[in-house]
Amino acid sequence: MALPDLARADISLSPPAPSDTTAPSDTTAPSDTAPSDTALADTAAGPAPRPPAGDPLALLRTDAAVTRYPQVAALLTTLSEPELARAGQLLSRVDPGRVLAEHPSVPVVSVAITAHGTVDPLVPALTGQAARHGVLVRPVRTTFDSYVFELSDPGSSLYEAHTDLTLCLLDPRIVFDEVGAVWRPQDVAAALKAKLALLTRLVETFEATSRGTLVLNTLPLPRHYPAQLVDHRSRAQLGAVWREANAALLRLTENHPALVVLDLEPHLGEGVGATDPRLDVYARAHLSPALLAAYAREVGHLVKLVAGRAKKTLVLDLDGTVWGGVLGEDGVTGIEVAGSYRGEAFRAFQRVVKQLGSQGVLLAVASKNDQELVRRALREHAEMTLAEDDLVRVTATWRPKHESLRELAELLNLGVDSFVFVDDSAHECALVRAELPGVAVVHVDGDPALHVSRLLRDGWFDTRELTAEDRSRVSTYRQEAERADFLDSFSSLQDYLRELDVTVTLADASEADVARVSQLTLRTNQFNLTTHRLQQADVQGLLRDPAAQVFAIRSADRFGDNGTVGAVLLHRERETVVVDNFLLSCRVFSRGIEQACLAAVLDHARRAGARAVVGTYRPSARNGVVRDFYPRYGFEEVEPPGRDGNSGNSADQTGGGAHPEAIPGGTTVVFRHDLRQPLAVPDHLTLHTSITEHTSPATGQGDTAGKEDPQ
Amino acid sequence: MNDLDDFLSLIRDELGIEVGSEDSERSLDEIPGWDSVHLLWLLSIVEQRTGRSVSLPDVLEASTLGSIYSAVAG
Repeated sequence: MALPDLARADISLSPPAPSDTTAPSDTTAPSDTAPSDTALADTAAGPAPRPPAGDPLALLRTDAAVTRYPQVAALLTTLSEPELARAGQLLSRVDPGRVLAEHPSVPVVSVAITAHGTVDPLVPALTGQAARHGVLVRPVRTTFDSYVFELSDPGSSLYEAHTDLTLCLLDPRIVFDEVGAVWRPQDVAAALKAKLALLTRLVETFEATSRGTLVLNTLPLPRHYPAQLVDHRSRAQLGAVWREANAALLRLTENHPALVVLDLEPHLGEGVGATDPRLDVYARAHLSPALLAAYAREVGHLVKLVAGRAKKTLVLDLDGTVWGGVLGEDGVTGIEVAGSYRGEAFRAFQRVVKQLGSQGVLLAVASKNDQELVRRALREHAEMTLAEDDLVRVTATWRPKHESLRELAELLNLGVDSFVFVDDSAHECALVRAELPGVAVVHVDGDPALHVSRLLRDGWFDTRELTAEDRSRVSTYRQEAERADFLDSFSSLQDYLRELDVTVTLADASEADVARVSQLTLRTNQFNLTTHRLQQADVQGLLRDPAAQVFAIRSADRFGDNGTVGAVLLHRERETVVVDNFLLSCRVFSRGIEQACLAAVLDHARRAGARAVVGTYRPSARNGVVRDFYPRYGFEEVEPPGRDGNSGNSADQTGGGAHPEAIPGGTTVVFRHDLRQPLAVPDHLTLHTSITEHTSPATGQGDTAGKEDPQ
Repeated sequence: MNDLDDFLSLIRDELGIEVGSEDSERSLDEIPGWDSVHLLWLLSIVEQRTGRSVSLPDVLEASTLGSIYSAVAG
């Protein structure tokens, strides 16, 4: 009995329908029938008649969802939106504990979900989205309509779960359930005012109680509310008070760093329905599945951020992606970048790329082209929006794309997993997916007018707050290229370093450094001794903690200011200074900066009357480069005091942050420096310190050290 | 979806819950892993497949898989 697809979305209980039917899949168009080489993804995600229940999702119905969890992300990349919803449903039945038992290195993010209505439908959507990023979600559900209770009582089960993220899903019913059957706009205004006051109090309680992140959302206004008002003046009034309340909600983020407010309005503007009337009434699910799917997609990127899997670089193909035509055949003046119909579409795409680049996303090119011709096109084409200066690297060769991406990653000293790759060729996309499963692949095909929405469909580069370093990142990386040329002109590294004229400043971190220090813990994978990710609220907690100290490392050289390039987190335990983490941006390795700062920390500890400095190395997949950091500078390995092999201090001291990437096989090693021999500051650099002395050892222990709640 | 067996197979595929024809008359409370959220999800799939709208109140009042199927099959 083959019946036609249900076409009327407004009466369907549809699982998240694609908001734009032209781009139903997350990154791949439905017409993408290119063979995917991944073992799992032998899917024909074909159009219209849905494939029989089976093929792409078969794996998720079996125990392989557990035993082969690390491969699940690759499987999900080629699914259409409805398939992804089904995959999330199946994955939400998988016990995270079992996955972790088999694959202890899979990053986990705990997420509490609370709402006015039922929270259950969100869990599968969120599970699926997190799985796309290779992250396992540990959901903590609260009971129906319990958000006020859960968020207002510091002893609630929600707070006791100490989750990384807390989602408080807001829907229009929180207001309209309180105005009675007969209402006027002023009644709604009064209810909104009361809710805002309540939500503000809840946010304040949250910040005082939790070190995680709270996520609220703006309230959609479904048409059936204004449509109940027969006069236009009242409808306008309702629209105004509603939007004023949403604006006030969004403005709460200005004063509350632990808060994220997701604006749902842009999703509604793209045609996603706010509510599903049947689910609203019968199931007390007050937001539509499609809107929940869009919401889950945004939260998925927050989850990815908490897990330290931020994307940093946008790598672009050129022909058919950045411009129309084939450069090698059409020549510099023949490619389409403006003016013509298609040219204008490519120009719009280039403008968006440039806009992303201005916010710290590194832009690079991986194109099968002639390098010199590409340079000429970027330099000489009068109507080209993207300039050579916008790009940190242009790799134009005839080698396979995945090789170009690997080379690019090495040149930029970044993990290839931090790349987002955009190409119009299904073949290249499939190849990169198969060879480099950590790369996010965005397939733009056919009509260039759709490139922008394909690229922006996912918030690949979403971050909590832009820092000064973000805004100047491209010039920083370009300076790096100049430094490399400069290095080539010296016969010895020492001569080079002397001429580089490095200045390092180690100073107490202030409020102004919170965003950057948090960002360093989230983005830095190599020079990150413990890979302990800290959200902004965690860093703020450390600034307030009298036993803890946070130092920011700034550096500069003859080529310019590098900005804040690292951080040292420490705390005092009786006569010992414990270094909880030491972080340095990969851009400034091998210049003696780490030695200078460690020397300053040892000196600081000695003058504060400490007898020793203890540091921990916790292996991750990426931080092997700093395995010998402490022993190299006179530290000796010691037996960890804790039974579990962890020193037992860092996790407690900076509690709340995520430890997503520990390698279970790798052992945490604790090192100790007895402070007898001072460590020299390398003589090729100048060190300035501006750090507060911890004079009294007594302040560093007792009830503050190791306490979980900073309040 | 032609018969009860198709319906049960849908439950196995979409929800990953192992059910057979012997489960069709058991109370939903006795089916391991079952909850009402699954029901809503299942209905969305059924509606998609069949192109027909299912009466939610009828389904929500059903107490066995067999009676859900009757409500779905209309």
